Amino acid sequence: MMIEALIAVALVGALVTFVAPNRIAGKLAFVISLVPVAISLWMFAVFDGSGNALLDGTLAFESQMEWIQLGDYAITWFVGIDGISLPLVVLTTILVSLAIMSSWTPIDMRESQFYGLVLFIEANLIGVFVALDFFLWFIFWEAVLIPMYLLIGIWGGPRRKYAAIKFFVYTNVASLVMFGSFIALVFALGDGVSSFALPEITAAMLNGGPESFAGIGSGTLTSLVFVAMFLGFAVKVPVVPFHTWLPDAHVEAPTPASVLLAGVLLKMGTYALLRFNFTMFPDQVSQFVVPIAAIAVISVIYGAMLALAQTDLKRIVAYSSVSSMGYVILGLVAYTQFGIGGATFQMVSHGLISGLMFMAVGVIYNATHTRMVTDMSGMADKMPIAVGVLIAGAFGYMGLPLMSGFAAEYFIFFGAFGSEASTYMPLFTGLAMFGIVIVAGYLLFAMQRTLFGPFRLETDYEIRRAPLHDIAPMFVLLGLIIALGVAPELIFEMITDAVDPIVDLAEFGGDA
Amino acid sequence: MTVGIEYYVLLSAALFCIGLFGVLTRRNALMFLMSVEIMLNAANINLIAFAFYHGNLSGQVFALFTMALAAAEVAVGLGIILVLYRNFRDVDVTVPSAMRW
Amino acid sequence: MVGAFEFAPAIALLPLAAFVVALVFGNGMPKKGAYAGILATAGSLLLSLWMLATVAGGEVYNEPLYDWAIGDEITFHFGILIDPLSALMLVIVSLVALLVHIFSLGYMNAEGETGLPRYYAELGLFTFSMLAFVLADNLLMAFMFFELVGLCSYLLIGFWFRTRSAPSAAKKAFLVTRFGDYFFLIGVVAIGATFGTLTFAGDASFVNEAQSAIDAGETFHGFGAETWVTILGLLVLGGVIGKSAQFPLHTWLPDAMEGPTTVSALIHAATMVAAGVYLVARMFGFYALSPTALAIIAFVGGFTALFAATMGVVKDDIKQVLAYSTISQYGYMMLGLGVGGYVAGVFHLMNHAFFKALLFLGAGAVIILMHHEQDMWKMGGLKDKAPVTYYTFLAGALALAGIVPFSGFWSKDEILYDAIILGLEEPIFLVAYSMGLLAVFFTGFYTFRMVFLTFHGKPRSEAARDPHPVGMNVKIPLIVLGVLALLAGVVNLAPVGKIAGMDIMFLEYWLDGQYTEGMTGLTYSEYSDTAGLDTTYIAGSQTITLLIAGALALGLALAGAIVAHVLYNVPEPVPHTENLGAAREVLRSNYYQDEVQVWIAQGLAMPTARMADRFDQSVIDGVVNGVSSVSLFGSGGMKRLQTGVVTNYAALIVLGFIALVVGLGVYGGWFV
Repeated sequence: MMIEALIAVALVGALVTFVAPNRIAGKLAFVISLVPVAISLWMFAVFDGSGNALLDGTLAFESQMEWIQLGDYAITWFVGIDGISLPLVVLTTILVSLAIMSSWTPIDMRESQFYGLVLFIEANLIGVFVALDFFLWFIFWEAVLIPMYLLIGIWGGPRRKYAAIKFFVYTNVASLVMFGSFIALVFALGDGVSSFALPEITAAMLNGGPESFAGIGSGTLTSLVFVAMFLGFAVKVPVVPFHTWLPDAHVEAPTPASVLLAGVLLKMGTYALLRFNFTMFPDQVSQFVVPIAAIAVISVIYGAMLALAQTDLKRIVAYSSVSSMGYVILGLVAYTQFGIGGATFQMVSHGLISGLMFMAVGVIYNATHTRMVTDMSGMADKMPIAVGVLIAGAFGYMGLPLMSGFAAEYFIFFGAFGSEASTYMPLFTGLAMFGIVIVAGYLLFAMQRTLFGPFRLETDYEIRRAPLHDIAPMFVLLGLIIALGVAPELIFEMITDAVDPIVDLAEFGGDA
Repeated sequence: MTVGIEYYVLLSAALFCIGLFGVLTRRNALMFLMSVEIMLNAANINLIAFAFYHGNLSGQVFALFTMALAAAEVAVGLGIILVLYRNFRDVDVTVPSAMRW
Repeated sequence: MVGAFEFAPAIALLPLAAFVVALVFGNGMPKKGAYAGILATAGSLLLSLWMLATVAGGEVYNEPLYDWAIGDEITFHFGILIDPLSALMLVIVSLVALLVHIFSLGYMNAEGETGLPRYYAELGLFTFSMLAFVLADNLLMAFMFFELVGLCSYLLIGFWFRTRSAPSAAKKAFLVTRFGDYFFLIGVVAIGATFGTLTFAGDASFVNEAQSAIDAGETFHGFGAETWVTILGLLVLGGVIGKSAQFPLHTWLPDAMEGPTTVSALIHAATMVAAGVYLVARMFGFYALSPTALAIIAFVGGFTALFAATMGVVKDDIKQVLAYSTISQYGYMMLGLGVGGYVAGVFHLMNHAFFKALLFLGAGAVIILMHHEQDMWKMGGLKDKAPVTYYTFLAGALALAGIVPFSGFWSKDEILYDAIILGLEEPIFLVAYSMGLLAVFFTGFYTFRMVFLTFHGKPRSEAARDPHPVGMNVKIPLIVLGVLALLAGVVNLAPVGKIAGMDIMFLEYWLDGQYTEGMTGLTYSEYSDTAGLDTTYIAGSQTITLLIAGALALGLALAGAIVAHVLYNVPEPVPHTENLGAAREVLRSNYYQDEVQVWIAQGLAMPTARMADRFDQSVIDGVVNGVSSVSLFGSGGMKRLQTGVVTNYAALIVLGFIALVVGLGVYGGWFV
């Protein structure tokens, strides 16, 4: 019942914060959010699951209850945690707490509603990562959109309405495509399944797959569903060319919303890809290796090139997220232990690093009220500690060794290079790796222009150093990034444990 | 001797068409409401006729329900018409067209 | 039993501790954290000497430290490999780092710099990274600390971040070396994926795996084993070329002079730039498997040696001259390693560490004397006013130029000797040799041009007439290094030993593992066997070849020095660069290498990025917004149905109902 407690605390906390006075809402939400952090860390400590949740693994904190009987299909409250979901749950709880703290400075209106929504997002994000019934999962999946839409639309920048609607409609349409195709698949599976429980559907998929449905043959149907679901999740990830909602949403969103958006919401897409496409459809993956790998490489390089052209700090980080998520796709399609494991590791690592970057940019924005690279220089002089952390985060983004980004990227490259999914995998890997040069290029360039050189910024007030509660969350993140970089085994052990059954599904893949 | 079901149906169809004609052509809200009532009664005739034809009572029960519903509808409808008149000094249904794009 | 090697991790961890201490507490400490760094590096030096002694006592150490990431087929770990090569390098690095720390007291603290805790913290991190890189027992760990070395150089080159040029130079240094590291990382990934191991030494090393793959005639990715090994070797070499500033990735190094001079000393002598060459030496067994890779190393080295030396001839800034000399000298080391002269390359690496640290610290002393003036044309006549600086600097210059009996002569001579005996067998290497030989002349010339302009003649500025005094913390490191620059050659007097038949080639025996029992694989003789390079002597005699090679090298160096003496050792020297004509501009512009790379960054990458951005905003986002515009337009038409007139709605309902009935009727077959 610990999972229920986790979600319940966040939900009740959201309600309480919603009606609390604005004055204390921030502090109150932070204190409440520490409870899920404690619970998830405790879960992390006593985690005893093994194997993959969808592939007959032993779940930790499992709980299953009858909920709705829908014709021949049962919908159940079915939650549980395995080695893939646990790191993401911990990431979510920690990032939410830190995001709440980092919004004390910038959020100065309708605070109780803001923090209430943040806690509401937390509950749903946790739900996405723990739900093992398709309907339950889908409810959480969709419910994340609403508070995020409001966060961007109410507390966002000048073009917040455009960004919020674009974000909502785009991702929602994608969800619809995914939902429709998955329901079609469940119906096509016929008598093989009697509920929407994901392990059961997975087992049915792996034992022969669907029959023909609505006049479409079995093989075609499976491929169609695979492609439709891939496209549905690709928007969320996002993968080029479905990425354009991301920079708009990031730029307009308030800092804490950006942190959650980049830190956790994008991981929903890759998490779902891993759970659905890459677990239930191993044959289709092998069929589509080359196009998917090509999309991954394009995402990496094209996203990085776009980041190079930006002059808005937040846009730079937003586009580099597109680039980083390309690595995840590359790791997934490799279908090797280090490939998929590295992709999962990258989800966590990128969550931490991009969260740190958005916080750091936010702190600078709080002081300067501009994010344009061209507007300022020499910020290192005025805000040495914040800038120091920003530099550290930037190097984390570049994949500096002994920080988590390097571990993640190295695992992915190693797994992809040694993959036997396609003979071209080494080539794709080599091309994707060029991303590490471009990322260094645009981050160093932006840093040189904004942080170094003689101080220049036109303001009519004195630039003050950031307060402690702005800096502290960044140090926590930095500590986690370095800890995971020095000892990736902290989470990589449980990740590989959950990933191995997936890798075993494929005849290709190989040793690495 | 019984009257054939088809006569009832014809009667009901005729009544319904009269009501429909009224709804489509009349601009006076009162006439509008009365036309709707005629259409409802056409449905009632159908219900009772078929209940009699099949020899069970559920059609008649439904007819009772419809009458109650019609009464309620008239109450609400007259209320709306009163408000309409108060606001527009008229009971022409084409005048209030604020609920549009 | 607690042996010396149990303390090996502490060699690297001590400077790391100094980093933390200086960063956190530096502001409150005396000398702003300098003592923490000095203590830590002194501790590292002592431990390194202990390692050296233990290795000399016949032990080697090759143990994993802890597992970084565990997979089914391969486990990545951190580990420590202490063999003669790494033990020697540890001592060099920690010694130079210690001296740089001490010198910094005079160069940085005494000059009232701000941000000193940051400086000492970064120095500590730099030393930590380099020592850990040297200790690494596998390629991945080496790569990781190789990258960290790059980070530290970025931070230190950009130390004076309030200027415009320093951050720019720092960015360039990191970016150019990153470009090299890109290839290195592919190499690491590919070696790991191909051979399933990344360890340098032991039975399961990737070198052994590669050897057996070649023997078994395996193919990888459609290439034969030997071709694949060559490809892998060249990929790793990409990183080496970046870090060791070899052509064409050398452009960052002269710009890196924007950093404090002490940092330049550290970067050039013992850390960043040395890391590349050290890596080649570390995995020399792997390169030995591929003659093609060796040849490419030799050519890159030979060409870089000459290329950089010609550019050094026309520089006016004392640090710039030294920068180009560094590039050139590392070219020599690459040449030496490329022609199979493993000992010669490592020997020069060691000697260069001493004399280049000496020269940079000497230049730092000159800069203190000159009140932070670096233009040699504003100096002159410092010889009498700062004798300690002069004589130690002169020792370094003689070593750099390769004048007997200074250390540089012995190692450079050995490299050239190794090149010529190989070149006589395979004439293609004679080209690399002659480039190296020609560079000797230029080296002699620019070195003594620098010495004469700086110290001889009459003072040419107010500062030179009245120099700022330097303290003991400046002089002591100079003296220590000066002695080493003079004497370090004795560890491997190969020509003397070979001609006289004496056993005095200590370094060769050392690197051949003759003092250590049970050492296999990583020895000079095994490398030579693997590479299997044939050599020939002039007239069939080793002695004659030795003498001719030595005489040529020494003669050219002296010739260069004499030309410099004639042109510049006069009371009122004038620039003679005009006489070079058109070549002068080419040399001053560094063969337009920078322009090419700047063009790649600004003329190629940036426009491409902007084009991609425009494409993204117009086409991709245009489609997205287009979809929304189309649906808005469509609904704009549709919404006009909503007239607000009740009658119209009723009519629509009726029409819809009729249409439905008719439709169903047609479908149901009423009207057939």
